[in-house]
Amino acid sequence: MKPRSLLSQSPTTSLKLTTGCETLDACLHGGFPCDSLTEIVAESGCGKTQLCLQLSLCAQLPISNGGLDGSALYLHSEFPFPFRRLHQLSRLFHLSNPSIYADHNDNPCDHVFIQNVHNVDHLFDVMSKIESFVKNSKTRLPLKLIVLDSVAALFRSEFENTPSDLRKRASCFFKISGKLKQLANKFGLAVVITNQVTDFVESSDGLSGLRIGNLRCLYSSGRRVVPALGLAWANCVNSRVFISRSDDSICQERREDDERSGSSYVSRRARRRFDIVFSPYLPASSCEFVITGEGICGRDAEKMDSTFLESGMVVREHQIDTRSLDKSKTLRLRLEKSVESSLGHRLNKTVNFGSLSYHTYANF
Amino acid sequence: MVTWTGLEHFRVGRFNPPPPAIEADDFVYDLRPRWPRGEERGKSPAIEESFHSRRTFMETWRLPLSSSIRGKLISAGYTSLSSISSVSSTDLARETDVKITESEAFEILKMANQVTGSSSCNGRSSSLVNGARNAWDMLHEEEALPRITTSCSDLDKILGGGISCRDVTEIGGVPGIGKTQIGIQLSVNVQIPREFGGLGGKAIYIDTEGSFMVERALQIAEACVEDMEEYTGYMHKHFKASQVQMKPRDILENIFYFRVCSYTEQIALVNHLDKFISENKDVKVVIVDSITFHFRQDFDDLAQRTRVLSEMALKFMKLAKKFSLAVVLLNQVTTKYTEGSFQLALALGDSWSHSCTNRVILYWNGDERYAYIDKSPSLPSASASYTVTGRGLRNSSSSSKRVKMM
Repeated sequence: MKPRSLLSQSPTTSLKLTTGCETLDACLHGGFPCDSLTEIVAESGCGKTQLCLQLSLCAQLPISNGGLDGSALYLHSEFPFPFRRLHQLSRLFHLSNPSIYADHNDNPCDHVFIQNVHNVDHLFDVMSKIESFVKNSKTRLPLKLIVLDSVAALFRSEFENTPSDLRKRASCFFKISGKLKQLANKFGLAVVITNQVTDFVESSDGLSGLRIGNLRCLYSSGRRVVPALGLAWANCVNSRVFISRSDDSICQERREDDERSGSSYVSRRARRRFDIVFSPYLPASSCEFVITGEGICGRDAEKMDSTFLESGMVVREHQIDTRSLDKSKTLRLRLEKSVESSLGHRLNKTVNFGSLSYHTYANF
Repeated sequence: MVTWTGLEHFRVGRFNPPPPAIEADDFVYDLRPRWPRGEERGKSPAIEESFHSRRTFMETWRLPLSSSIRGKLISAGYTSLSSISSVSSTDLARETDVKITESEAFEILKMANQVTGSSSCNGRSSSLVNGARNAWDMLHEEEALPRITTSCSDLDKILGGGISCRDVTEIGGVPGIGKTQIGIQLSVNVQIPREFGGLGGKAIYIDTEGSFMVERALQIAEACVEDMEEYTGYMHKHFKASQVQMKPRDILENIFYFRVCSYTEQIALVNHLDKFISENKDVKVVIVDSITFHFRQDFDDLAQRTRVLSEMALKFMKLAKKFSLAVVLLNQVTTKYTEGSFQLALALGDSWSHSCTNRVILYWNGDERYAYIDKSPSLPSASASYTVTGRGLRNSSSSSKRVKMM
């Protein structure tokens, strides 16, 4: 047996998969690492599926752009799978990265493989076939990302709360994790697993409140939560990130530049937060983000968040957000539309828009 | 012919028990009256004694030699290994009545020495029990042993200066408390050259979980080199000769990184370590990141798991003693149902807890990370706080920290 030379990879950083959003990438020092299991813990409705869909598309980016130049395998255990949202994101992705698909005349959806898993045994079955799938696949892009959406849903129905069942469950965790890590190591895959939360119930032994990681307590939607599957599962993953949403929403009142339409409206959007709970190489950090039609975008405290239009273009707003509910304050907006043509140069135009209704995309 | 007195003796019970039923096939019962040689010289050659000595384990007929040589030995009167140990090969060969050649004699002595394990076959004072040293020598040896610093002075203080060599230290804690960070820090710190108070050795890092990130190791290595350069600036003001020669890339090169993906690989690697370390003599620390990960799945027979684990623990202990290096095992935490409630305990069960010399438990206390000496033959129970910074493990700078001695 020979040791692996640590300097064999140059540069001496492992390959990372970008999330498609600069703020999140900054938190993650580049993105989700390869050859490692990352767990996303979030309440339902916080955006973990959005992030996973975005990751499966970003995996197809070339390595120079932060992607892995590979396809993604999406194992989902919760119904229904958001096909419409995937198509929407894929359409936008195609528009913004036409060069990847121009030569081969395919579209991003062709490189996301979706597999439904009903329960733990089915998952073991599927995992045993992944290796042959990777070796024998005739697809253009090799498999580089495995997403397991909601490992908690697999264990919800079959196991009771007795000590023997808990032991069996724990042994299943280690088996799943061991097998995924083995695949990740062999083929250099990034593995992302999502997990749910349960409410924190104060018990006499105090074990459910056990602190794991950088955050003393995890709060989401105003109440204290605890990641599902307990301490045993926490030992199985390499890194854990926590996505939460808070009750207070971002309210902005806008008034159009154009006096002709003169409409004003208030947008409400839940504040979402991304925290690093534990990781072997990341310091504790957090950032905020929003979910737009194009996907997940980070949100700095000073800059405004992006809004999205039907036509699929990203609009950036430049003014300071006061985030106050004071209706007397009106904001002057300057909307800039930046369009990247296939030749790569930007055209800057100032456009006036009619009513914007983007908040329908925020609730998935 | 049995005499009357013999029968009387027998009825009263004055007789020797019969020889054991199981004996070697080619064992030669030599009943010729002979004087026994060797250490038994000077003792009365009573028949009872020779019968008795035949039943002991340290017998010549148990030596893996050819039967003719064995026969010659026994006919010369060397019935027990103790008699051989105090004789030299020339003496054996000089037995004129038995034709033992010099080479045969040498072979006999080599075999006997291997069996008894004594390293020298000269002098009548060589002790039969191999490896016995007196405690005074051991104390001097232990005090002279270097220790590996953890870069956190509070932690070093409770560990008695750092992680000690020749010991198996187990460090366990919940996820995210910093076990991998300690592992990486130790694998970098073991390489600090002797001029700076370190060991100047290399490290073996066995990764079972995939938590080792090269960029993090590089970050810690760079911080270590920077600290060393700062140290030369302070300490060797008039002595600029000792410049820091190490570069962060050299530090990474001296970490032998193994990734194992199943428990069979882990066991095979541990078996291979002996040979590997014999070839790379300057390895001074072996770190296993999460010794438990592969053992918490697929083991329906817990007794087998315990057996495998104790074998592995024994191998680590032997490695530590033989090559004088430190073995650091990182462990996970699980819940144990004791006394009607669930409590936190290190994984792998109670039998594993005997396998390590020292045990350190890492836990959260408020917002601080603490390390607690749970089991140690020489260190008092104490806890100290530490932090994990971008530069590695460091002292925590909070005002409320204290090294708590229990």
